[in-house]
Amino acid sequence: MASAVSGDRPVGVSIVDDHPVVIDGVRAWLATEPRLRVLATGDDPDLVLRTAPEADVILLDLRLHGRMMLDKLAELSAAGRRVVVYSEHTDPATMLAALDAGATAFLAKHEGREHCVATVLAAASDRPYVPPALAGAMVGDPRPDRPALSDKEREALLLWFQSMSKASVARRMQISEHTVKQYVDRARIKYTRAGRPAATKAALLARAIEDGLIRPEEIGIYRSQASYDRPTP
Amino acid sequence: MSTDLGATTSVRVPRPVVRAEDPAGSDGAMVDVARVSDRGARIAAVAIALVWHLAIGLPALLGGWPELAAPTVVAAGWLAALAVGGWAGHRLLHGLLPPVVPLAAILLAVDAAVFAAAGERQLFAAGNWAWTGLAWFFVVVLWGRPIRWMIILLAGHSVIALAALIGDGATAPADLTRYAMYVYGTSSLPVAVFTGAAVIATLARQRADTAAATLAVRAERDAAERAWADRRARLALVGSAAEQVLAELADGRADPTDPFVQRRCVLAATRLRRLIAESDDVPDPLLHELRAAADLAERNGLPIELIAIGTPPPLPVEVRRRLADPLAAALADATGWARLTVVAGPDEVVISLVAPDVDGPGSTDPPATPVGNDDQVEHVLERDGEIRWTQTRWRQP
Repeated sequence: MASAVSGDRPVGVSIVDDHPVVIDGVRAWLATEPRLRVLATGDDPDLVLRTAPEADVILLDLRLHGRMMLDKLAELSAAGRRVVVYSEHTDPATMLAALDAGATAFLAKHEGREHCVATVLAAASDRPYVPPALAGAMVGDPRPDRPALSDKEREALLLWFQSMSKASVARRMQISEHTVKQYVDRARIKYTRAGRPAATKAALLARAIEDGLIRPEEIGIYRSQASYDRPTP
Repeated sequence: MSTDLGATTSVRVPRPVVRAEDPAGSDGAMVDVARVSDRGARIAAVAIALVWHLAIGLPALLGGWPELAAPTVVAAGWLAALAVGGWAGHRLLHGLLPPVVPLAAILLAVDAAVFAAAGERQLFAAGNWAWTGLAWFFVVVLWGRPIRWMIILLAGHSVIALAALIGDGATAPADLTRYAMYVYGTSSLPVAVFTGAAVIATLARQRADTAAATLAVRAERDAAERAWADRRARLALVGSAAEQVLAELADGRADPTDPFVQRRCVLAATRLRRLIAESDDVPDPLLHELRAAADLAERNGLPIELIAIGTPPPLPVEVRRRLADPLAAALADATGWARLTVVAGPDEVVISLVAPDVDGPGSTDPPATPVGNDDQVEHVLERDGEIRWTQTRWRQP
């Protein structure tokens, strides 16, 4: 498992996409943030991984050469690789399937630079980041075994999805922006129980417990997750 | 470009949902077909029983009268069977099933009385009309019931006959053989008719079900094809608009730094994205209305993003109107860009429109105005200097 990023060391990022123009675009977005450094790019996840095994975060296009990469995503996540999936496939089922497979975050391609940088930075420290499209998928999750969200968490997700402005959500719910983010992140953490276990999910959960975002009993999976290694803070 | 999109709207077909009501009506007709074919079989069963009773049973009774041990009892039994059969037949022809247990009990009682009253000389003769005629009444009385009822009654009939044989001392091998022949001969035909009718009724029902299901599938496919053709037509128009901008950019005729060109690109991209996001085969009426409103706003040059998550449950027109109308109105006032979202589940539908907050109609409204709020649809309007936010929400009462 890639160790959690700390201190002044820049975050190493690998980009896997089959369109060079997209790689160039994402590279340009990430270049605006001095804490991020692109280490390798390419259209083959294994090759990119071999080129830069030390990468902290992998940005993975979910569809490579016409094939959905969900299995590859699950394999990388099980091995503890922090994968931020970014895709133009923003139907809720695909987004939730990516989370189930262990993606640290899901980013819709049209969500732009700001969300992209924020997502990668959060992923590097095993912290959740929920862009609006993913919030929509979570709040509309029709599956019977979906995680139980509180009313406030649902409302925060819904309003964040609708408005794309945490300040507006905060005014609407009459709470602070920080609290809005907490509700949204707590909902995301509850999704670590969906799908098969993955090292990345354990890492997200462990960091959330450390940060005081959630209590283990709130998601009812304390025992099953306790055996996983915690990342060094 | 605006004329292109005008054409887009005009190729839109009527809501397929209206068509989806067709199979419901045909469904009823199909069930009627099944009922009519069952009615034919009922008429046949009642006719066989009564004609046999009157045309064969009555002459046999009258012909054997002098030799019967107690002719009045046998005649009374004949009348009782006629009454039971007549009433059961009447109910059958009016689409009702006769009560099984009392009528079956009466018929078995008549059976026993006739066998007891026929006497030794007429036991196997025509005067004992119950031997041959009664099983047809079983068919009428047991119509539409499981076959095991028929078997139970015929077994009772055989036991009664056997008891009469023993009572009359007719237990010689020849008598028992005759008994077996009679039981077999008089039971097999009614059983065949009863089973055949049940099978025909089942087949008719299955055929009706299949026909109804086929119709429903065809209606849905037609609707999906229309939606698909509609989407293709719009994709062709929107695609050509995007191609045009790209071609101009490639030729150097359009300047990428020109804000007007940038806006054309943004519009073409949002349209394409919206079309790609439309994944429903048969559009939901609510989403359909919202898309129409979005198309209209887009024709006025507003880049709009429409994201729908989940499928709304079937909602009354009134609720749908109260959900969609405030959004359509807000969309008409929106400037710059707009984000229209729908989140739907079985018991909640939330629609929201967010656009930049600039001066314009409604700019004097206080922030967060609950505009309308009743037991079913909540309508909230909010502006905070950053965004103008319109939201309607339906909750299952």
